[in-house]
Amino acid sequence: MAEKKSLWQALAGIDRRIVYLTLLVVLVVPLILSLGLSVKPMKDVSQRVRQVFEQVDSLQYSGMPLMISVDFDPASKGELQPMLYALLRHAAARNVPVLVLGLWPNGVGLAKTALEDVGREYGRQNGVDWVFLGYKAGIDAVILGMGENIARVFPSDAMGSRLDQHPLMQRVRRLADVGFVVSLSAGTPGYLDWLLYAQSRYRVRMATGTTAVQAADAYPYVGTGQLRGIVAGMKGAAEYEILNQQAGFRQASTPAIDAMDAQSFAQFAIVLLVVIGNVGFFVAGRRRK
Amino acid sequence: MQRSVPLTICLVMGIVMMVQFFSPHPFSRGLLETVNTWVRLISGFALALGAGSLILHHTTKIRRKQPGWGYSIVTLSALAATAAIGWAAGPTMMDNKQLLINVIYSNIQVPLGASMFSILAFYIASASYRAFRARNKEATILLLAAFLVMLGTVPLGKVVWDGFPKWSRYLLEIPNLAAKRGIIFGVALGTIATSLKIILGIERGWLGGGK
Amino acid sequence: MTTLIPLVLLLGQVAAPATDPPAPPPVVAPSGLKALDTPNDQGKSLDLRWAMPDGAVTDSFVIERAETCRVATTVGVVGPDESTYVDSGAQAGRVCWYRIGGTRGADTAWGEFSAGVRPAAPRLRVAWAGLSGAGFDSLVVQRAETSRAVTTAGSVGPEESSFVDEGVLAGHRYSYRVGAVVGADTAWSEPTAEVAPVPQWVDWRLLNIFVAMVVFFAFIVYFINHARKGRELFVRRIAGLDAVEESVGRATEMGKPIVFIPGIGSAAAISTIASMNILGEIAKKTAQYDTTLVVPNSDPVVYTIAREMVKEAHAKVGRPDSFKPDNVFFITQEQFAYAAAVDGIMVREKPATNFLLGYFAAESLILAETGATTGAIQIAGTDAIYQLPFFITACDYTLIGEELYAASAYLSREPLLLGSLVGQDYGKLAILVVLALASALYLLSAVKGLQWLEFAFKALNT
Repeated sequence: MAEKKSLWQALAGIDRRIVYLTLLVVLVVPLILSLGLSVKPMKDVSQRVRQVFEQVDSLQYSGMPLMISVDFDPASKGELQPMLYALLRHAAARNVPVLVLGLWPNGVGLAKTALEDVGREYGRQNGVDWVFLGYKAGIDAVILGMGENIARVFPSDAMGSRLDQHPLMQRVRRLADVGFVVSLSAGTPGYLDWLLYAQSRYRVRMATGTTAVQAADAYPYVGTGQLRGIVAGMKGAAEYEILNQQAGFRQASTPAIDAMDAQSFAQFAIVLLVVIGNVGFFVAGRRRK
Repeated sequence: MQRSVPLTICLVMGIVMMVQFFSPHPFSRGLLETVNTWVRLISGFALALGAGSLILHHTTKIRRKQPGWGYSIVTLSALAATAAIGWAAGPTMMDNKQLLINVIYSNIQVPLGASMFSILAFYIASASYRAFRARNKEATILLLAAFLVMLGTVPLGKVVWDGFPKWSRYLLEIPNLAAKRGIIFGVALGTIATSLKIILGIERGWLGGGK
Repeated sequence: MTTLIPLVLLLGQVAAPATDPPAPPPVVAPSGLKALDTPNDQGKSLDLRWAMPDGAVTDSFVIERAETCRVATTVGVVGPDESTYVDSGAQAGRVCWYRIGGTRGADTAWGEFSAGVRPAAPRLRVAWAGLSGAGFDSLVVQRAETSRAVTTAGSVGPEESSFVDEGVLAGHRYSYRVGAVVGADTAWSEPTAEVAPVPQWVDWRLLNIFVAMVVFFAFIVYFINHARKGRELFVRRIAGLDAVEESVGRATEMGKPIVFIPGIGSAAAISTIASMNILGEIAKKTAQYDTTLVVPNSDPVVYTIAREMVKEAHAKVGRPDSFKPDNVFFITQEQFAYAAAVDGIMVREKPATNFLLGYFAAESLILAETGATTGAIQIAGTDAIYQLPFFITACDYTLIGEELYAASAYLSREPLLLGSLVGQDYGKLAILVVLALASALYLLSAVKGLQWLEFAFKALNT
């Protein structure tokens, strides 16, 4: 007959299905109830996100466009798509033109959706306020090529229209004509390729939005000035949305802010489960002795 | 001959590209561009190789009626259908959301990719619960560091204690980054050494085994 | 008296001089302007440096570039059989060059320019030979003269004293002048002599990398020779690699398969190559013990390499017949589709041992955690730094970073491979020594009296 498990042993060996269920509840409830508990603690936005915001904001004075490189695919959409929307809305609110391209083939669909959504929200026009270059294979060849001549790398935009037909592209011929580049990066290729080819060779001003896992790797580049800020993970995206809110920009949705409560509660739940597991582990172990 | 030709090409190109790195002359840069173009061309053939391998594997499974052969029919049908639909849509398919290929992308690929990534949240919870036990000194330090970083990176952690974000940032930016840099050094040197062994023909695993 | 005072006051008012507005500061031209070829580049830029006297005020600097170039104009068209032309438009005393072009339809094939000639009179007879019977429709005669094109190369702020002009072409000659701008006035410097950007063959800034590379290679070659002579080389224990034998044995005893996952890297990735080397060693053991080895692949080229490795391993232990090609297969290049497929294999086959060796991205935890739920013993190794925490958490053994690269040497114990491994470690030691020395110099240079150490630090830092 199997030995009955003590309470402490049970706590040390909770069935993983119960762990999954706990996490599911803790994630779903705050998303449905929209508690908004995380907004106040995030009011003091981190310096790194603020740096990116200020750089994009300054483009309204120079009239130079913002270039966004969508270097992620649907898998990383949760963390990086809110950043894309927040950046596009900021640019739209300040009337800054935007050029969007992607180094990942699966990401361009997400980029196009975002451009169209924000375009509708702010009445932005293709060819004048934004140009969608699409995806091109080649990574280093693409970035280096754009450093010399964007139209040579992208003779037409992603929808098939010749690039020289767009009024925006009459004054944007190469990377030097772009005011600021943001690479929303989930891996390779990503911000490192932009640093290597665009920033070091053409001295392009740039920043990056990355997944939370990768963010720490990008910090040294901020220290050296090669990156002018980082938007890290969903929290970074939420901080950018807060900056948009504080500046009074219209935002049809704030997915990152909305998800912060769920993320916070999930972290607390994991910490609690780990504590319970350790308590059960130690007490059961002691009792065995 | 089957091995000596690839090894010779590897040696020559390895040395040429090493020398190229140190030369900014347009001839050198032109060479780099040419080599990159060839690499892209050759890697394009890998797609054909991949599709061929996939079709061969699954048709064999169907023919022999091995366990799970029904799924092989699904795989091959999906491959054929998506390729045909994408081909029919043409190069300007980004323009029209109603096109079937875009519907497939938005309603199948995007949610599937996001769902698989979301599984990680649950797996992190179960892996953390199982692995973060204070069995010894090192495990305890790992456990405490994990708590600090987990609570420091979410907004509500700041509500519990003001110091969580500050100490979490310290941990990530100083000791964690120092350790990572050490690993990066090792990986970089290992890459150089392995590359040298490949160029010199000492390491021949990439040829598929054998002397 | 009373009338005198107002008069004196009035006179005082009339006699006092009016206050003029202050004179604008004088515009001072920059001095010492030098234009030099930018070193260590492709020949596409020129460096400019200048100086301003102390106290000189300026709003900005504008840089002007003058290029002396040869501009060719067509002076005449003659029939295909002609061999002379009289040019009446040449300028006496001005050097000019001629070239002949043969037209065929819309195309023109141009010959080289002749040597320069300075006509004494405006009429010049141009002669050529060998073009009649070449099949041209007509011959075009062009005259080229030098022309000076002046453009603004750029402008910089008042605090700058240098400028890099990247709008130049290799081989073309340019001269520059820099103007200090104050309001609407500009004071120009003396123009520089002509200079041409020249592409360099060697980038001397990379000399330190070259030296480090030579030193590192020297270590590796030395220790390879050392190992070739049969000398013993110490390599520390790597727990994950020691466990390979044990885990293969476990799978054999339990009668369950082994799953080897080579990651999602391409065949060019070093981690994938290292993974294939380990696969070869594991395949030999599984062939010996007749244990099933399943190798699902994400890259088609890696799939072909893996197949050959496993087939070769079976042949090496004298069991070529036991190789099952169906056990080494390609799944998909799509990251999460691959992870889902491998998870399915793990859940259905319930392997005794999983090897996760190669390059992994976000799917690492999905694979490792699913493997853990099936109760398999798991040995992981990757050079993808972000994935190491997930493997450490979910797997029994983890090879961190370069331990993966060391695996082929560790498992095979081949002298050549062991020698390069030891050489690599000495290279790392050399880097550590340089780092420690540089850090010490930097710290000490902050101490009063030891500031001269900064020169040593900068020299080391170059």
